[in-house]
Amino acid sequence: MEQLKFIARRLVYLALMLFGVATIVFLLSRLAGDPVTANLSQRALSDPAVVEAYRARYGLDKPMLTQYLYYIRNLLQLDLGTSIRTNNPVLQELGRCYPATIELALFSILIASVFGILFGIVSAVRRNSALDQTVRAISVTGVSIPSFWFALLMLFVFYYKLRLLPGPGRLSNAFSAPAHVTGLYVLDSLLEGDGAKAADALRHLILPSFVLAAFTMGLITRTTRSNLLDVMSTDYIRTARSKGLTGHALVIRHALGNALIPVLTVIGLGLGNLLGGMVLVETIFNWPGVGQFAYQSVMSVDFPSVIGVSLLIALNYMVINTVVDILYGAIDPRVRCR
Amino acid sequence: MKKLLTLALCACMLFACVACGGGNSGAEPQKSNTETESAAGGNTVVIAIGAGFSTLDPGRVYEKYPPLVVNACYENLFKFYSNDGGAEPCLADSYEFSDDGLTLTVKLKDAKFASGNPVTSADVQFSIERCRNLQDNPSFICDTIGSIDTPDEKTVVFHLTQVDSAILSKLTYSSLAVLDSAVVKEHGGTDAVDAVTADSAADFLNTTSAGSGMYVMTSYTPDEEIVLEKNANYWGTPTNVDKYIIKIQPDSNTQMMTLSTGDIDVAMNMTDDTMAELSGVAGVELMNSATKTVSFVMMNMNSSIGGPVSDPHVQQAIRLALDYAGIQTIVGEGCITPYDVIQDGFMGSKGERPASYTNVDAAKEELAKSPYPNGFDIDLTVCDLDMEGVALTDLAQKVKADLAPIGINVNIVSQPWAAGYGDAYRDGTLGMTVMYWGTDYNDPNVQLEFLPGKTVGLRAGWTAAMDPTLSAKYDETMAATDNAERIRVLGEVQDMMYENGPFAFIAQAPAHIGFNTRLSGVEISDPYALDLTLINVK
Repeated sequence: MEQLKFIARRLVYLALMLFGVATIVFLLSRLAGDPVTANLSQRALSDPAVVEAYRARYGLDKPMLTQYLYYIRNLLQLDLGTSIRTNNPVLQELGRCYPATIELALFSILIASVFGILFGIVSAVRRNSALDQTVRAISVTGVSIPSFWFALLMLFVFYYKLRLLPGPGRLSNAFSAPAHVTGLYVLDSLLEGDGAKAADALRHLILPSFVLAAFTMGLITRTTRSNLLDVMSTDYIRTARSKGLTGHALVIRHALGNALIPVLTVIGLGLGNLLGGMVLVETIFNWPGVGQFAYQSVMSVDFPSVIGVSLLIALNYMVINTVVDILYGAIDPRVRCR
Repeated sequence: MKKLLTLALCACMLFACVACGGGNSGAEPQKSNTETESAAGGNTVVIAIGAGFSTLDPGRVYEKYPPLVVNACYENLFKFYSNDGGAEPCLADSYEFSDDGLTLTVKLKDAKFASGNPVTSADVQFSIERCRNLQDNPSFICDTIGSIDTPDEKTVVFHLTQVDSAILSKLTYSSLAVLDSAVVKEHGGTDAVDAVTADSAADFLNTTSAGSGMYVMTSYTPDEEIVLEKNANYWGTPTNVDKYIIKIQPDSNTQMMTLSTGDIDVAMNMTDDTMAELSGVAGVELMNSATKTVSFVMMNMNSSIGGPVSDPHVQQAIRLALDYAGIQTIVGEGCITPYDVIQDGFMGSKGERPASYTNVDAAKEELAKSPYPNGFDIDLTVCDLDMEGVALTDLAQKVKADLAPIGINVNIVSQPWAAGYGDAYRDGTLGMTVMYWGTDYNDPNVQLEFLPGKTVGLRAGWTAAMDPTLSAKYDETMAATDNAERIRVLGEVQDMMYENGPFAFIAQAPAHIGFNTRLSGVEISDPYALDLTLINVK
C-alpha cells in the first residue's frame, strides 16, 4: 500500500514536471530564433506569400499565447505536434529514433555496470595495490576522456586499422533492417529468426557502447570503490570478520549490498543521460538516435521536436529515478520502512 | 576474488568472441567493395552523403542532397548531362520558342513511369502547377511560367510572363521533375491553387518515388539511409548498377574510414584533411572541383547603414586589399576566385580573378581618395552558417586580417542565422558582412539577383536608381535567348561589376569526393551533387 502511494505521488510529480518542462522549453525555444528563417531558402524568404504560407502551416502566424494554449491542449491529447523540419508528427519521429538510442543505452549501461562494479570491487579489495592504481587510472581516464575523441580513436583502431569490429551504422550493407517490432535491431532480428543479422547488429553495438560506457563505467567504479571501502570499515563488517568470515563471502554477501545503493543512483543517472541521446557519438557512429534528431531539430529551430525531445528526456529521468527509488527498497529494507 | 576475476575475463572473452564472430575476423575483414553485390546478385553501390534533409518530395526539395535522389528516380523535360554543358532534352523530344520568346512548345518522348503509366503532357502540367501552388521553398522557380496548355498528350505549351533565357535550365530543376500524376493524386497530391493546404502527398513521396527515372526508391529511413533499386519499366538505357544504398554519414572522418575499408564506394562529404588521409590509398580515387557556391563580402550602399563602406573608393580599396590566394588556402583545394558575379563554369563566365589582383599599395591609394584616408573602424556581422564546410566566421577573420594593413579595423560581430542575422540580412540592415550564395538552379541568370534593384542587390542597399545602366542589364540578359547574345550581355555585366558595386566575390567553394576505382562515371555535379544515372561498375 505504501509502495502504491509512493508511485502515485511520483506520477503526480511527473505530470507537474512535464508541464513545467513543456512551458519552459516552449518559452525558451521562442527566444532561440525564427524557424521560418532557419528552414526556408534565401530565395524563398524573399517571397512574402511563401513566408506567410509557411507560418500558417505551422501555426506560427498566431500570437504566442495562442500557440502555447494550443500546444498544451494538444499535449494533453498526447499530440506533440508536427515537426517543422520533417513535416512528420513528432511522436512518430521520436518513435523512429528512440529505439536506436534505447538499444545503445541499454547495452552501454550493461557494460558500464558489469565492468564498473567489478572494477570497483577489485579496486576496493586490493586497496593501494598496483591493481587498484591501474583500475583507478582507467576510471579517471574514462570519466575525463572526451567522448568524440574516444569514439574516433576506437573507430580508427578497431575498425579502420585492425578491422576487428564493424564500422558506423546499425547493420552491415549486406543486411536490410529487420521488420519493426520493438525497433531494437538485435531483438527484432532474433524475432525474425535471423541469427546472422542479430549477431551483426550486436557487433555494431560494441564500439559505440564501449565509448558511451567509458564515462559511466568510470563513475560506477569510483562510487563502488569508495562506498565499499566505507562499508568495509563499519562495525558489522568488523564483527563478521571477527567471526571468521573472509574473502568473497564477506564482500559479496555482507558488504556489497549496502555499498550498492549509491551505485544504483549513479547507474540510474547514467542511463538517463544515455537515453537522452549522445549527439557526437551518434554522429560519428552514424547512429540514428535521439541525439542526432535533437541536434538537427535545434539547428532547424524546430520548436515541436525540441520540446518533444525535452519532454522525453525529462520523462526518462523521472521514470528512472522512480525505478531506482523502488529498487532502493528492494536492496535495503530500511529504506522501505521510512 | 579469483572467481570475480575469472568472471571478468570470461566477459572479456565473450565480447571478443562476438566482436570477431560471424565470419568477420581480422583475417577476413568486411566484404571488400569489389565483392559488394546486392542480394539479387547484381551490382550494388554504396554512397555516403553528408547531412540529412527535410524532404524528398520533388515539389518541395531545395537542399543539397535530395536532387541526387530525385535525379535518379525522376526525370525532367530537360537535364544537364555534364557539369559544364547546357540543358539538353530528357523527356522532351523536341522544343521550340515562339518568335517573341514568350511561348515554349515541348514535344514529349514516348516514355513511361515506373508504374507503367505513360508520361503525358498532363503529368508535366500537374508537376509544375503542384510545385508552384505548394508555395514552398522552390516555388519561385515557376515565377516566369504564366500558364501551361496541353493541346494533346504529347505536347506541352508554356506561356511565359516574360522572355526568360533561363527557362530550359529551370526546367531541369529537381522540383520540376515530372511526377506520375495518377499515382500522386491517389496519395493525396493536388496541383490546385489550394495545394498549399490541400496537398498531402509529401509523406508518400518521402518514402517512395513516382517518376520515370532509372531507379525507384524502395526505402528511406530518415537520418540513416535511402535504398534505390532499378526501375523495371525504365524506358531508356540503364547503367549496370542495380542498387544504390545511400548512407547518411555526417562526419567526414567516418566517411574517410568507411571508404578506405570498402564499406562505401563514394564519399561525398570529404574535407581537405580527410582527402589528404586518403591520398595514395590503393583503389581510391580523389576528385576536387570548384562548385558554383560563392562567398562574398557585402558592403551596404546605403550610407546610413554601411557608413564608410558605402563609399565607392572604400569598396574598391577593400577589393584590392583582400588576399584572394590566402582565402583559397583557407577554403581548401579546388577553391577558385571567380572573376566576378558569374561563377567560373557557367556559360558566359569570364573565369577567374587573377591572383595578382591583390595590391595593398593600390588599396591604400584608393582609400586615400575616400573621405577616410587614414582608415576607420567598422563592424562586420557574420552568422553561424558554413559554406560547404567552411565556417563563414573563418572567412570573416581572414577579411579582418587583410583589411588591417590598409587601416580598416574590422570588429567581427557574430549573430546566429536564425536568431537575428537572417532577418537583418534579408531586410538589408547589415552594414558589412561575409555571406555565401548557393545557386538555386544551374544557370548564370540566377546571379542576376546581385544586380541593383534585385533580391541580393537590395540587401546591400543597391537600388536600381543607383545604377540604371547595370540594372537594365537584367531584362537584357533575360531576353537573350540566343547563346552568343547571352554570353555578350553577361560579359558586360561582369565588366561593369568587376570594380564597381557593393560586392567582392572572394571564393567559389570546392567539393571533394573520394570514390572506389571500380566505378566509372563518377563526376561532381552542381545540379545533382552526383549523377547516379551515369555511374557504372567497371
